[in-house]
Amino acid sequence: MKLELGNFPVKEIEFGEQTAYQDGTLTINKEEALSVVYEDDHIIDADLKIVEPGDEVRLVPVKEAIEPRYREGGGPVFPGVTGELMQAGEGQTKALKDMSVLVVGKHWGGFQDGLIDMAGEGAKYTYFSRLKNVVLVADTDEEFEKREQQKKNRALRWAGMRLSEYLGRAVKDLEPEEVQELELPPIADRICELEDLPGVVLVLQPQSQMEEDGYNDLSYGWDTNHMLPTLMHPNEVLDGAMISGSFMPCSSKWSTYDFQNFPLIRKLYEEHGETLNFLGVIMSNLNVSLEEKERSAQFVAQIASTLGAEGAIVAEEGYGNPDADYTACLVALEEAGIDTVGVSNEATGRDGTSQPLVAMDPKADALVSTGNVSELIELPPMETVIGELEALARDGLSGGWEDDEELGPSVREDGSIIMENNAMFCGDGVTGWSTKTMKEF
Amino acid sequence: MDKKAIVYINQFFGQVGGEEAADHPPEIKEGAVGAAQALAAEFAGDITHTVICGDNFMSSNQEEATARILEMLEDIDFDIFFAGPAFQAGRYGNACGAIGKAVKEEFAVPVISSMNEENPGGEMFKKDIYIFPGGRSGAKMREDAKKMAEFGNEILTSEGPFPADEYGFYKRGIRHQYFRPDEKTAAERALDMLLKKMKGEEYTSELPIPEVDRVDIAPAIEDLSQVKVALVSSGGIVPVGNPDRIQSASATRWGKYNIAGMDRLENRASEGFKTIHAGFDPAAADEDPNRVVPVDALRKFEEEGRIGKLHDEFYVTVGTGTTVGEAARMGQEIAEDLKDAGVQAVILTST
Repeated sequence: MKLELGNFPVKEIEFGEQTAYQDGTLTINKEEALSVVYEDDHIIDADLKIVEPGDEVRLVPVKEAIEPRYREGGGPVFPGVTGELMQAGEGQTKALKDMSVLVVGKHWGGFQDGLIDMAGEGAKYTYFSRLKNVVLVADTDEEFEKREQQKKNRALRWAGMRLSEYLGRAVKDLEPEEVQELELPPIADRICELEDLPGVVLVLQPQSQMEEDGYNDLSYGWDTNHMLPTLMHPNEVLDGAMISGSFMPCSSKWSTYDFQNFPLIRKLYEEHGETLNFLGVIMSNLNVSLEEKERSAQFVAQIASTLGAEGAIVAEEGYGNPDADYTACLVALEEAGIDTVGVSNEATGRDGTSQPLVAMDPKADALVSTGNVSELIELPPMETVIGELEALARDGLSGGWEDDEELGPSVREDGSIIMENNAMFCGDGVTGWSTKTMKEF
Repeated sequence: MDKKAIVYINQFFGQVGGEEAADHPPEIKEGAVGAAQALAAEFAGDITHTVICGDNFMSSNQEEATARILEMLEDIDFDIFFAGPAFQAGRYGNACGAIGKAVKEEFAVPVISSMNEENPGGEMFKKDIYIFPGGRSGAKMREDAKKMAEFGNEILTSEGPFPADEYGFYKRGIRHQYFRPDEKTAAERALDMLLKKMKGEEYTSELPIPEVDRVDIAPAIEDLSQVKVALVSSGGIVPVGNPDRIQSASATRWGKYNIAGMDRLENRASEGFKTIHAGFDPAAADEDPNRVVPVDALRKFEEEGRIGKLHDEFYVTVGTGTTVGEAARMGQEIAEDLKDAGVQAVILTST
């Protein structure tokens, strides 16, 4: 499978007459772009903003991040989600780089939503403060979940994807500045060529623990709760086969942008043919019942063994209960004789003394740790808030609270905040971004 | 540096005297006295006072000693508290830990100590205060004091963070997130670790999983009729006066009590035995201590010839809040004692 990713670096974003890309400048016709957002009747109010690194802006509640792209031939960027089902990971896709579309609730947030500071101390906690962002800030008529802590955010997330596809069409007829060829030949064809290099798989455990439809990560539009682990070509993940869900505490979440740019996949690609033979991605999931957890772990170890993998990296989207799936998977791979490294965050509590993972096993002897979900973060007020700051305290964001005997409310009158890392938008960068680790103090 | 420190040392290092002066009550002196001078040599601020207390006084009257020392410090302005170095001296290590913890809680200043890895005080108090690994004896005074003082200088002048692996104090089970100065991403770290692991090279897991030290269950004894059996318990059953002052929680001490000639353990009301365990309702155990340490039942077995003999002493400590490290040490000590006494089987009762 071969994917040609045509990159268009975005150095500046501005509103203007016509939506177009030229010499690194993305110009957006706001009215036309909003009309795409309003294609869904459930969107009752919407606006677009542009924010850049260093802007004194706080965004909350942030629901999703997406890289704008265009699929050559006009097919959906997210097959099975924004259009018909088709094969992702093959052919040509064009991408607007160094930017994302951020989706922010105009009022209402929830457990799964997060916060981004574009400047100051808070900026270091999330990758998205480094990007130029087109911010869709909108409200919906989804009354059934307005006051619910868990929100599907369906209208807003889909509006974000439509907007991203709309912006991606700006480069439809243009030549990319740079083309990256991502190609892995069929495994059987590599036997001679790469026989000295150890085969390695990447095992992904996207979030799929909600039994009700509408919250979990999707694979080609299919709820990952309803799947068994399967082998995927890494190109599929990078090319829109996977979209983020709307469930997990935000710092643990993998946004759609994260799936599209997955640093662990990129790194394995870099090493392919040099130090290892990248066999592919085993797309697993995270489950509710113990038998489901064990079944998935067993499938992962079987697929990895059948492929002849000597090494594996496992990444978990979440913490707490799914640590059981994570550890079970690490142990199953080790027991199959496969050298395994895990990547996850930890939950050691505000004072740092709690057990880091719910399930731990000495066989999991090579772990990369990307942060503590409960770390307390205190940040000064920002000049501008996009969305509604009060959502952090009011709406049950995983890292916010209305009041606390010792700490007071998460959102203070002067606009300063105190929160747990839990609410930092995709802050623990488990997909591979994180420059954080955990240490003993 | 315009910072003030207070140092805690025992009677020996405070030049009051040796073991004969171990009951010396706490006193406070101006300036750096005795071994505190080793800290003064490296500490960039001022050591304004030295607290000296006998090791026995502290271990026998910990609450009183702590209260007296906290009172002495009440009106003194200080920024940091040093305790020790305590080397391998167990009572001294415990004293440094106990007073250090109390000072930290009362005055919210950093507390720094040093203890040899064999000193049980390290295991007990490393969560509460900064403890550096130290030498076995006073021969390492300068070296150990230097480590303490240098970290004191650092903690008073720099904003941190202060990771254990960088500064060298014992890991405390306190894990916080940390931004890597080299900005090496999780993806790069995962790949490096995997390549090393596959090649059989050394790597460091960022989340070490504590090894569980499992002990296999011993094979069954076919015939107990010739065997000497002992009772060992973590249920805190002690003679009513608790002569060994075993702690009611987070125990570091164990005791053994003679039961030769006793048909059963007499209860608390009869001035016999009671429980000092703080982790369960004592009513049932106080009413009949045999419920926890079943001397009555074992005597019956002895009579019936089902066991050879009940050992003349039973062994006890308190299990609640006791660290695994302390429990293992006490277990080893008790096991050695049992072997010396020719005991061949043990019934271990918990609560």
